[in-house]
Amino acid sequence: MNLASIALLALVFGLVLFDLLTFSGRNRRALLLEIVVFLGGAFFVAFPIRATALAHLVGIGRGVDFLIYPIVIWLTRESLLTRRRRLEDTERMTELTRALALATASRREVDQSIGR
Amino acid sequence: MKLAILMPAHNEGARLLRTLEVVRERSTELGGVSVFLVDDGSDPRVILEDLPSPTADFSIVFARHAINLGQGAALETARQLALREPEFAAYVTMDSDGQHGVDGAKHIAERIAAGADVAFGNRFVAGSNVPSGRKLLLRGARLFERALTGLSLSDAHNGLRGFSRRALSGIRIRHDRMAHATEITQCVSRSPNWVVAEVPVCVEYNRETLAKGQNAAGALTVLGDLLSHYFFQDRA
Repeated sequence: MNLASIALLALVFGLVLFDLLTFSGRNRRALLLEIVVFLGGAFFVAFPIRATALAHLVGIGRGVDFLIYPIVIWLTRESLLTRRRRLEDTERMTELTRALALATASRREVDQSIGR
Repeated sequence: MKLAILMPAHNEGARLLRTLEVVRERSTELGGVSVFLVDDGSDPRVILEDLPSPTADFSIVFARHAINLGQGAALETARQLALREPEFAAYVTMDSDGQHGVDGAKHIAERIAAGADVAFGNRFVAGSNVPSGRKLLLRGARLFERALTGLSLSDAHNGLRGFSRRALSGIRIRHDRMAHATEITQCVSRSPNWVVAEVPVCVEYNRETLAKGQNAAGALTVLGDLLSHYFFQDRA
């Protein structure tokens, strides 16, 4: 194991530890999912030869490429979907705010001042 | 000629009061004015009772967004408010910071009453004091909109514009922020039966309004919003 691997492992376990402490009791399932994914990543960092063996099995030269290709594809998709969801949420928020504004609109004119 | 003014407002304070006061003073000459005012989450909030008193020719219909959504969203709320009322001779959108003069609104309303469905204000032919940096930005926006919509307008993103009831009913603003101006132009370009006109209007710039207005970064935000909606928004 080289210095870069040790640094990466320290980062992975440091993040898991930080999230364990700060999440404390909230979002347990998300935390569990994070731990499983991070432990998988830590395994391939600690034993890169295993990643290379898997890569060769599917015709990819380097183990790191075997891991990075699907991660980049997944992150790209996630980024696009998140953007779309954010736009949908913004639209809902706008509609809600507008409905409230229209429902409570009032008028000021001569001889009457009514709420609607 | 009874006129509806659609006016979004966000943190305008005394400028809003001055703008409404000027409109009220000229309301009889305009044939009667109803202002559809939307406070877009101002802090402090606009209080209806603090606004200029109504007269026989001047009234205010007021709605408030609980949070700040953006000028496009406030304009859409004002549009929906105005369409709940009996028909007006013309519907004019106008900024609340005093930048747009009542004369411009009047000329636009007259053009609508004369048969146009949409009248865009043109600030470059009526003595507006447009700063050179803003001129350059607007020239770029004009070329961009021409490429996007096919409409060759002399002025892009001028908030002083007018609609007939038919046109106002046919427009739905879905861009909450500043990209709504391009959205309106796009909508007009897709409606070949509408009569479209351009009307010279005077827009007054001062330090306050320039600080609040669009800049180059704002133009990039508009571009980002347009792209985001193009790719991710349902066309419903």
